[in-house]
Amino acid sequence: MKFLSRTALRAGAVGLAVLAATGAVAQEKSVTIGITADPSHLYPLAGEELSSNIMYYHLYDPLVKRTAELEFVPGLAESWENVDDTTWRFKLREGVTFHNGNAFTADDVVFTVNKAKESIRPDLVANIAEIRKIDDLTVEITTPAPYAVLPNDLAEVLILDEEYTTETGDEQMDLKPMGTGPYKLDEWIKEEKLVLSAFDDYWAGAPKIKQVTFRPITNPATRTAALLTGEVDVIQDLAVRDVERVRNEDGFEVITRPSLLNVVLAMDTRAKSPTIEGDNPMTDQRVREAIARAIDVDAINKIVMNGLATPSEQFVPASHTGYVEGMNFREMYPMDIEKAKALLAEAGYPDGFTMTLDATNNRYVNDAQIAQALASMLAKIGVTLNLNIMPKSNFWGYIRVPTENSSFIMSGWDVPAGDAGSMYGALFYTRDKREGYGQVNRGSYSNPELDKLIDAADSTPSLEKRDAILQDATKLLMADIPMIPLHYEQDIYGVRDGVTLVPRTDKFIWAYDMDVE
Amino acid sequence: MLGYLLKRLIQMILVLWVVSVIVFLMMSFTGDPVFMVVPIDATDSEIAQARRLLGLDQSLPVQYWKFLSSIVQGDFGRSYVFRQPAMTLILERLPATVEMVLVAMGLAVLVAIPLGVYAGANPNGRLSRTIMAGSLLGISLPGFWVGMVLIYLFAVHWGIFPSSGRGDTGEIFGLRISLLTLDGWHHIALPAITLSLGTMAILLRMTRAGMMEVSRQDFMKFARAKGVPRKDVLYGHGLKNALIPVVTIFGLQLGDLIAFATITETIFSWPGMGKLLIDSIYRADRPVIVVYLMLVALIFVVINFIVDLVYTLIDPRISLK
Repeated sequence: MKFLSRTALRAGAVGLAVLAATGAVAQEKSVTIGITADPSHLYPLAGEELSSNIMYYHLYDPLVKRTAELEFVPGLAESWENVDDTTWRFKLREGVTFHNGNAFTADDVVFTVNKAKESIRPDLVANIAEIRKIDDLTVEITTPAPYAVLPNDLAEVLILDEEYTTETGDEQMDLKPMGTGPYKLDEWIKEEKLVLSAFDDYWAGAPKIKQVTFRPITNPATRTAALLTGEVDVIQDLAVRDVERVRNEDGFEVITRPSLLNVVLAMDTRAKSPTIEGDNPMTDQRVREAIARAIDVDAINKIVMNGLATPSEQFVPASHTGYVEGMNFREMYPMDIEKAKALLAEAGYPDGFTMTLDATNNRYVNDAQIAQALASMLAKIGVTLNLNIMPKSNFWGYIRVPTENSSFIMSGWDVPAGDAGSMYGALFYTRDKREGYGQVNRGSYSNPELDKLIDAADSTPSLEKRDAILQDATKLLMADIPMIPLHYEQDIYGVRDGVTLVPRTDKFIWAYDMDVE
Repeated sequence: MLGYLLKRLIQMILVLWVVSVIVFLMMSFTGDPVFMVVPIDATDSEIAQARRLLGLDQSLPVQYWKFLSSIVQGDFGRSYVFRQPAMTLILERLPATVEMVLVAMGLAVLVAIPLGVYAGANPNGRLSRTIMAGSLLGISLPGFWVGMVLIYLFAVHWGIFPSSGRGDTGEIFGLRISLLTLDGWHHIALPAITLSLGTMAILLRMTRAGMMEVSRQDFMKFARAKGVPRKDVLYGHGLKNALIPVVTIFGLQLGDLIAFATITETIFSWPGMGKLLIDSIYRADRPVIVVYLMLVALIFVVINFIVDLVYTLIDPRISLK
């Protein structure tokens, strides 16, 4: 009897376990995400755009991981240290494998960096002079000059499997990716869906969500419809006009967060400017200040952006090195038409002047409307803006340095690396003075003081020092106004109840951090 | 017949060549594709490297010559953006577009021909007037609006059809076809209806006009007097004679929809090739645009050829020379 009951019990326990197991299978977590465009690539060295970036970070890992809040933490590298001013030693994580079972070693890191140099993305490793393998789990990187933010740069270098990548070849890598990331590719039907499944041997622990499906839905209204009908659980870039609708619907939630993309106005500072007759008034700081004071950023936010923009305080957001606590462009130069007119008169242009604003019509949220609003605002101080608006495929070539066509340019800038240095170096460093600096200096701004600060920032291995120097640069730029920061766009997501999504600052949706009920 | 075929073939090659020249020339105005590929703060040397990797470091005539000579070897070039063969990119999206267009055209014919015959035979009936008013609506309503309304009503409001995507597909000869599964039909319904409305209305009006024209002819009255039933007169004698312009328009519309179903595809996020064209234009991705437009030109030429053949079947008096 005793024996019997024990068997019965055991049988019951087995039955329960089976039940539990099947229950677990049935409840395996999955999520479907509606994104704005199909990725162009799954091979990180083939190119860069948002949808591809989102896929890259599911499939691959960098040495240094960038968190949702732009902190830089160990990824495939466990730790790192400065050996001397220009040499860094990275200790790699042990026991990491690629999806095909190959072990991750120092050879893969060396291979990836050298491969990037020959690829279409040499910029990824522009600050790496040399990389050496010390042993299987240690690499040493030399930078051309002391460079405090090397780990931040490495957050964008995704490590490839040397053996697999060489065998597969660049073209096929785009279709058959292989990384160490938390998800592996199941199926990719172009323009229809991309399905990822969990890589259960992931070094940081198996992902909670076992299957992730990305569906490219370009039309914003269709994206909203797909969310409301339950065909997708999350959508990226919920259309501004649908925000209220989704908020009022039961079972859905709207999540917003300011993006990193700062919409800025570059002013030409050459003595003669292509679209201005006679001398260029904007060489005078007072004229630049007058233009800044004529712009009502709050009105643009309210009327053009439906309240879904965040007026910029500085050139970089608060999370970045080089941000000066408590400094605000909007408080330094609040909108003041009278003051602006007075400044113009003081500078010798009481009647204003005429120039052309170059802007896009398909790159930033409501970009053409912002340009129109700017024209009517500047008209109030006598500055006549002719609008020259074009699609982005023409724009980047048209405004490109040496900027032979433009006086006043609206564009956007974001620094996901979390550091003002690269932006200042590219946008404000004197042109043609130093390789890799001033290459996007469209206003031809030249200030030896600033150049000196950038040089100093880029030659210190200390992050604290770099921050202090870049803060000085920020103060200098805010006073001299070579460029007017307007606003940060906002990232807007629609999610159904039960989905946990913490939006990332860099906009890269990452299912590993998500959860579903 | 052989001479006719040969003439058509030469015409086709000429058309394809002209298309390639025009696209190559036009693309020099749409911006430099390199800037679509490199990061915004790329240095000059980085840009030069990208230019070299994409083969854009040569002059336009040299690029064109390379393009022509590789086409002869069956290589249609590579997309600057995707770095994949342009032809593959287009062909993997082609079946989805073709099946949506075929369903739409089938739907248009099924509805338009009977209604057109009826409206042509009874021009003053109340039902005919309703049909004609409806067809006017079909011509005037823009496709994107119809698509959005259908999504709102049938997907969001009533939940009968899915809002977007292609659903399950079956496979024959390695092609993925929605029409083999119930879920596929479920997904194709709304986009196909949206796409068919305009064509339906045009075909209907053409059929009606043709029928009205033919009805006045003597042979129709004779046939009737001979005692042929009205239905047989209409469909046998009448429709057959009214069909020539309808077939012409059908052919043109078919080509048009295959080539430029872009708007419907975008609204229903249907994974067809129209969206590829628009994306490629935005990205100045010349290889894809050239191959796409050449393929479209080819489709038009072939369809027109088939239409010519159909003429001879409908009206034996027409012969191909």
